[in-house]
Amino acid sequence: MPKIEALAELAGYRREDFSVCLGCKICGSVCTINDLSVSANPQELLMKVFLQKELKGDDPVVANCTNCYNCTEACPWKIRIPEVVRALRKELAVESPFEKAFKASVALLGRVYEPYVLLRALPFLVKEGYLAYVTRWTEYITFHLPHKVKGAGLSQPGKEVIAGREPKARDRKAKRAP
Amino acid sequence: MKYAYYPGCSLTGSARKLDKGVRTIFARLGHELTEIPEWNCCGAFEYGDRRELVEMSRTNLSKAAPVTESEAIVAPCPACYKNLREASAETAHPVRHPLEILGKEPLSPSLIKRDLKGEVFTPYYGCILMRPEATAISDKQVMERIITGLGGEIEGEKVKARCCGGNQFFINRRSTERLSRMVLEGSRGTIVLFCPLCHMALTSFSKGRRIIYFTDLLLHVTGDGKRL
Repeated sequence: MPKIEALAELAGYRREDFSVCLGCKICGSVCTINDLSVSANPQELLMKVFLQKELKGDDPVVANCTNCYNCTEACPWKIRIPEVVRALRKELAVESPFEKAFKASVALLGRVYEPYVLLRALPFLVKEGYLAYVTRWTEYITFHLPHKVKGAGLSQPGKEVIAGREPKARDRKAKRAP
Repeated sequence: MKYAYYPGCSLTGSARKLDKGVRTIFARLGHELTEIPEWNCCGAFEYGDRRELVEMSRTNLSKAAPVTESEAIVAPCPACYKNLREASAETAHPVRHPLEILGKEPLSPSLIKRDLKGEVFTPYYGCILMRPEATAISDKQVMERIITGLGGEIEGEKVKARCCGGNQFFINRRSTERLSRMVLEGSRGTIVLFCPLCHMALTSFSKGRRIIYFTDLLLHVTGDGKRL
């Protein structure tokens, strides 16, 4: 497990930002993954992070989060739980072959070139039965050559504090421009 | 009006139809879109390091900087829109979703060649245009207003902001299938949306339902093609 400070920083937070959680569990009530008959408890996940308890990649929220932001919208402090989950997925190395192929394309070209991603993830897509949908994907199939963005290998993580981050959880009245 | 345009990766490939639609409709409204030169991927929801994600969008915003006359940066893909908008907090360029512009600018009667009378639509916004509030579009009835203004009937209010599970599509397709089916079952008529991922998820799990981009609807109304 990464240290909480490092994990919080990955998600654009500081450790103390999570201390405001009231434990109301409204995030769990509105979580989309309840509809998958999976017991969702993002609040417990957040507390595990805060208290530095062990987390695994098969935690239901880590494995199934759809990035719908229902939790953030319902949270009294607007905590961006999906981004904490994404930081956890990175740290716990929970990535599907498709996600790896997506990042490989961005690292190589600066953009997602779909044919490259599909070919690279092909064994996974075949094994998992995605080919069954191909007949419904005809409108998505277009021929175009890849474009390599000038300077690709572009995204160097900034070292400074993120300017675009959400207002601090405790500063509920702060609003982001525009 | 002049706008800087950020198509995003999907719109160069699987969602090329949306790209063409946005460009055509904006041209018909008299707007000039200038594609940001050498734009890079926005990172979508694939990066666990927020600094890395924000840096990717900052890079795009800096590439847009030479388009000095532009009113704003237009990003049709909801994921790109959210990422760019978050990173734009300290830059001179506001980031706008096409719906924010289209909602404030009714189609002039001279552009309207067809109406939507007798047709039923479910405007489907999905997640990212609706949440979180800090980056959501302000007018959450914009598609309904435009469609009813053209004579169309609206259904599916309850599912318009439900998650289709598209984000999990290439991770665990069975999860996406269950969530998408809930959206499909709660909707009626033609599903109208803006998100390429929602389009793909719903299309993959529907049997013959008509799922179109909002721009397809506007192209139809302004005279393109024979039917939707």
